[in-house]
Amino acid sequence: MKYVFLAVSVFLVFFLQGRISVLGIAPDLSMLLVFTVGLRYGETRGLLLGIVVGALEDSLGGSFIGPHMLSKAIVGFSSYFFVSGGLLRWTPVLGVVSVAVLTLSDNLVVFLTRTMFDRMPALVPTALLVSVMQSLLNAPAGIFIRPRHVD
Amino acid sequence: MPRKKTFLFLAVVVFSFVLMTYQSRKGHTLSIDFLSSPLHATQSATQSVIDWAARPFRMIAVRAEENAKLTKRVGELLLEREQYRETAKENSRLRELLSLRERHRDYVTSARVIARGVDNWTQTLLLDKGTADGVAKDMAAVTPKGLAGKISAVSRSYSRLLLPTDVNFSVSVRLQDGRTEGVLSGTGSRICALKYIPFDSKVRTGDIVITSGLDMLFPAGIPVGYVSAVDNQKGEGNFQRIEVRPFQESSEMEEAIIVK
Repeated sequence: MKYVFLAVSVFLVFFLQGRISVLGIAPDLSMLLVFTVGLRYGETRGLLLGIVVGALEDSLGGSFIGPHMLSKAIVGFSSYFFVSGGLLRWTPVLGVVSVAVLTLSDNLVVFLTRTMFDRMPALVPTALLVSVMQSLLNAPAGIFIRPRHVD
Repeated sequence: MPRKKTFLFLAVVVFSFVLMTYQSRKGHTLSIDFLSSPLHATQSATQSVIDWAARPFRMIAVRAEENAKLTKRVGELLLEREQYRETAKENSRLRELLSLRERHRDYVTSARVIARGVDNWTQTLLLDKGTADGVAKDMAAVTPKGLAGKISAVSRSYSRLLLPTDVNFSVSVRLQDGRTEGVLSGTGSRICALKYIPFDSKVRTGDIVITSGLDMLFPAGIPVGYVSAVDNQKGEGNFQRIEVRPFQESSEMEEAIIVK
């Protein structure tokens, strides 16, 4: 049942991602899904979901397989760091910051890998604008996404 | 953190790099398109349901306004049609005289936009027609406003339209007035770059850019966009730096026709 719910979530995320946009820039809903799973269920599950979601995103984007796969895997794996080790205490502000930082890093990884292995997908100022806009769009979601021990 | 997890993460990173290196050397040979087909099918079905549900309400709201607009428009179009008929007849006569073969734009099908590409780095749209309707890779898509892009990937029922603003898009063009040829490429943003226009060619803001047909991909004479900025002082190397804004905004595009 859990996996069915996850599959439906993935499906829904891609369905909505292609339809919602602000100034032509879509929020990175797939990153939010991977972040949520990584934060709540640990780095291994986050990593594995990141690989699947990323590979699917690469396929839907029509480009080569790899950039999103790697970036989402990094997001899924590193999202758990924000609550592990007892260094940081989870607050909505930390949620906003972590979502913004991971959205930026997600975009940075995609931009760099596509530049290295394929072609530069956009000029640097455009890439910066897209990344920052997407971080701003995603960041408020950090208020609502919480680790399991906070529930 | 347990070593096992770190090892798994590093293995994924290495695997990704190997995968991307392989594809960058051998071309984009790996495909998991079969995973995206159910999503495309659902997008199409949902779009149809939304259209069906919204149609009566939309019709009521727009009918009165549309009626007034259409009455005015009919008058304009009747006049315009007569002008076009006369021009077409004259054109046809001249072509016969010169024994030139009349150019024919091969219409394949008309397609509806059912979704945008999910990736902000790729400027694509998903169309609801595929190989079953005669669509093939590299065919051109045209709207009443002008060139909309080219088909970059196609499956049985769907096709992906690469927009002129994508970095992987290029088309051979010419300036409508000056007749200077160049190449229009996407930049990843909302504008395109018109390349290889030498400094001695006169280019002004507002000049219309049309396809030249020399790339053998796009039929000649399709409007592409207008010159929005010109840097003929510094430029890029031996050529001017020219920005072109496409006539067809991707966000406003709902339908397009596919031509060979």
